[in-house]
Amino acid sequence: MVTSDIYKKEYDVIIVGGGATGAGAARDCALRGLSVLLVERNDYSTGATGRNHGLMHSGARYAVTDSESASECISENMILRRIARHCVEETDGLFITLPEDDLQYQQTFVEACKHAGIRADIIDPQEAHSIEPAVNPKLIGAVRVPDASIDPFRLTVANLLDARMHGAETLNYHEVEGLIINQNRVEGVKLLNKRNGEHVEVHSRVVVNAAGIWGQRIAQQAGVNISMFPARGALLIFGHRVNNMVINRCRKPANADILVPDDTVCVIGTTSDRIPIETVDDMRVTREEVDILLKEGVKIAPSLATTRIIRAYAGVRPLVASDDDPSGRSISRGIVCLDHAKRDGLEGLITITGGKMMTYRLMGEIATNAVCAKLGNTAPCVTANQPLPGSEPDAPDQRDATKRYSFGQRAAIGRHGSLAARIEKDNDIDNALVCECEGVTVGEIKYAVHQLHVHNLVNLRRRTRVGMGTCQGKLCSCRAASLMGEFNGNVKAAQEDLAAFLDERWKGMRPVAWGDTLREAQLTSMIYEGLCGLDMAVNMEGKEDVQ
Amino acid sequence: MRMDTVIMGGGLSGLACGISLAKRGKRVTIVASGQSTMFFNGGSMELLGCVNGKTIENPLEAIASLPESHPYHKVGVDRIASIAERVKLLFSDSGIDMTGSANANHWRITPMGIAKPAWLTLNDHLRIDDLNQLPAKRLALMCIRGYFDQPNSMLAQGLRNLGFEVDMIEFTTDDITALRRSPSEMRATSLAKHLVSNNALQRIADQFNNLAGNADMVLMPSVFGQSDSSDFQTLQARTNKPLRLVATLPPSVAGMRMMKQLRHYFKMLGGTYLMGDTALSGTFDGDRLTSITTAKLADMPLKADNFVLATGSFISRGLKADFERVYEPILGVDVDADADPEQWTRFGVLQPQAYFGYGVATDNQLRCLKQGKPIQNLRAIGSVLSGHDAVKMGDGTGVSLLTAIAAADQIRENK
Repeated sequence: MVTSDIYKKEYDVIIVGGGATGAGAARDCALRGLSVLLVERNDYSTGATGRNHGLMHSGARYAVTDSESASECISENMILRRIARHCVEETDGLFITLPEDDLQYQQTFVEACKHAGIRADIIDPQEAHSIEPAVNPKLIGAVRVPDASIDPFRLTVANLLDARMHGAETLNYHEVEGLIINQNRVEGVKLLNKRNGEHVEVHSRVVVNAAGIWGQRIAQQAGVNISMFPARGALLIFGHRVNNMVINRCRKPANADILVPDDTVCVIGTTSDRIPIETVDDMRVTREEVDILLKEGVKIAPSLATTRIIRAYAGVRPLVASDDDPSGRSISRGIVCLDHAKRDGLEGLITITGGKMMTYRLMGEIATNAVCAKLGNTAPCVTANQPLPGSEPDAPDQRDATKRYSFGQRAAIGRHGSLAARIEKDNDIDNALVCECEGVTVGEIKYAVHQLHVHNLVNLRRRTRVGMGTCQGKLCSCRAASLMGEFNGNVKAAQEDLAAFLDERWKGMRPVAWGDTLREAQLTSMIYEGLCGLDMAVNMEGKEDVQ
Repeated sequence: MRMDTVIMGGGLSGLACGISLAKRGKRVTIVASGQSTMFFNGGSMELLGCVNGKTIENPLEAIASLPESHPYHKVGVDRIASIAERVKLLFSDSGIDMTGSANANHWRITPMGIAKPAWLTLNDHLRIDDLNQLPAKRLALMCIRGYFDQPNSMLAQGLRNLGFEVDMIEFTTDDITALRRSPSEMRATSLAKHLVSNNALQRIADQFNNLAGNADMVLMPSVFGQSDSSDFQTLQARTNKPLRLVATLPPSVAGMRMMKQLRHYFKMLGGTYLMGDTALSGTFDGDRLTSITTAKLADMPLKADNFVLATGSFISRGLKADFERVYEPILGVDVDADADPEQWTRFGVLQPQAYFGYGVATDNQLRCLKQGKPIQNLRAIGSVLSGHDAVKMGDGTGVSLLTAIAAADQIRENK
């Protein structure tokens, strides 16, 4: 459907926010037969969804301090292994005790895990070191748990694709400027199309606020107050995958105590700082945060001391104060679903927040239940059983050694599961590699541009991992930009896009710009400015961030 | 092993210095890692392209008004013109055919079709002397099917912006199609390695002659000639229109060829080139460096009367930065750099970045300083020097070449 037709329709439900939660809610609503529009102000998964470890918690981390979250995690963990297996890598995890930690805590931890229904096996420290050679050899205790690694970008896209296959419409780069309110009833949203500056109104019977930390602003637009407590966490990505299992510290959750392997790289995090709500859009990572992450990271895996850091980033968790305690002293990491009709006397608005990336499906289910209750829809939720597109039972397996896949095909199956079949490969150029680190082909880029709402290189990176690997898009970003310039005929825009992509990458590199990261930065400048003269082709003054 | 001079670093400046000394009968050893930023060269040398955002027409004139900290002042502003002429001679002696003048920049064409000021450009590469008098009206831009390291759409647009009429023509030959089966083969260097036989070149020329239509010049990516320009000349001889090359994304065949030619010339002059080795540390005696150790000759220190540090910038590991400081890793000589890491960089990837200006500190004789005092027999040349931003000023290769020759002269004069 063309965008102008999307505006004209009236929907059962409009979902605000294109993170995992919004995408999960859109899928659930669509599967229950509701007509759905999802709107996202930037690209999909640009908020907290795309700014975490990529860890599929077993729940063990929360077992001691928050048993409710722990139970939710293990239950969702088992569901995602079934419905989203093309987004999940089943690595398992270790909770290690170091000499500076209290070994007594291990017993408390294991008991709490068992209580929450999480498998937790104490293993010999030496065995732990042999199954995960990257771990600090000084460890004095180890527990094995069913943690895993998950790709949140892929997961979000799979949910959006399934929502669309079931009739939902989705729009990125559409910002909610206000809600349409008629006599204490929310009847739709006022939108700004950020790509062309157009202002439109779209009507619906219910609006779901799934905007994460930005949900407080959406609620304010309806005159409703939600007290959010933004918790900022910074992380570092390293240039190769030093560990094959998730490694956690076996102690009360603290700074920088989880190291997660993600595809070809690994991620240490996070710090945790309360920040004022006014600063949630400032994602710059500070030197102090980097210092903490490195010091603690090296304790988990000593080889991180000599591994190149490829970028730093930060995300903001949307923690919510419970309504009976607006001071914020009792903050839950649990899921919060507010029906503003009951809470504030405002009909037609539901807020779903709190929670975690990996409980997105449950959050979608809870929000959809609330929507259905309002609309009198009695269809049951099926999202826990129905595989996401890409993870159908007959989806090809990239590890299947009996198949003669090329590197690019294997990588594409890993990313898109059964949807990899949609990637063109008839033409002899479609199989040519654009990104060698991640195995992205010309065909996969065409697929992403034509079917996955890709407007720029940063979008493309999120959909395909182009430029996400070890070289961080040194050459492949230029190849991809030139191809996109050919596809859409606008070379100037492609060059500006390339400059914006490099600028976005620099934001992540700058906080860690020493050692090999500084070398990479200098190399990039030498190629794109010195050799190519990209700085003479584009004018970056006054450019808005392209997310 | 005792030498007259040991040069640490075998890139453009190390080789130019080595050649200049070896030519006068000096015993010279170069310790070279084998990597060089010539890997990213666009087929040109630049003396000075831009100062404070202003494009430079006459580099010789503009050099005089550069700040005192710029390395050209250590070459001696009055000597720049004559040293620049000697560089041209050094290139032609090495078999590298370039054209250009130190008092009038011409324009090189970048892989994105941007015209950038240059001093010397390889004769087989597209060069524009006057933007109002283009060397051709209509270009046939030949694009190799499946080769992505030439951003074709950007290149064509850039050339059109300069006033050319451009026909973008995709072509392939059986040889290229065979290479394409392995994606890693579609790099400039492997194309250059495989497209060498007379038959392979004839098949390419046939494509040009069939497809170039009414263009008056054929343009194609610089993927020919890994050793010399004979492959290009064969192709030109069989193509019925003038043929020019245009720089690609790395790897740069032209840059690697130039390095090969310089290395060959250096060895011909009797120089010793320790390929794949790296200097690790040095031993000082008072204000002199007496020897260095290398990774491969761990138990055999290299002794010499003079030493030259030509190890390049951060990218070549001639400079290093850790969480707290910028330092020179081999000899621990003084560096010019901001002490506060927050000052090293700034937001905006295309903004000038302070770290580009960092490098080893030298006196007016290019002698390295250690705790503020000059080391009498240790000079620094090329990108390891402080005092200029090679990317923003377009003076990187010029500084490498001119400081190399100046250091060679100083070594001989101080004898």
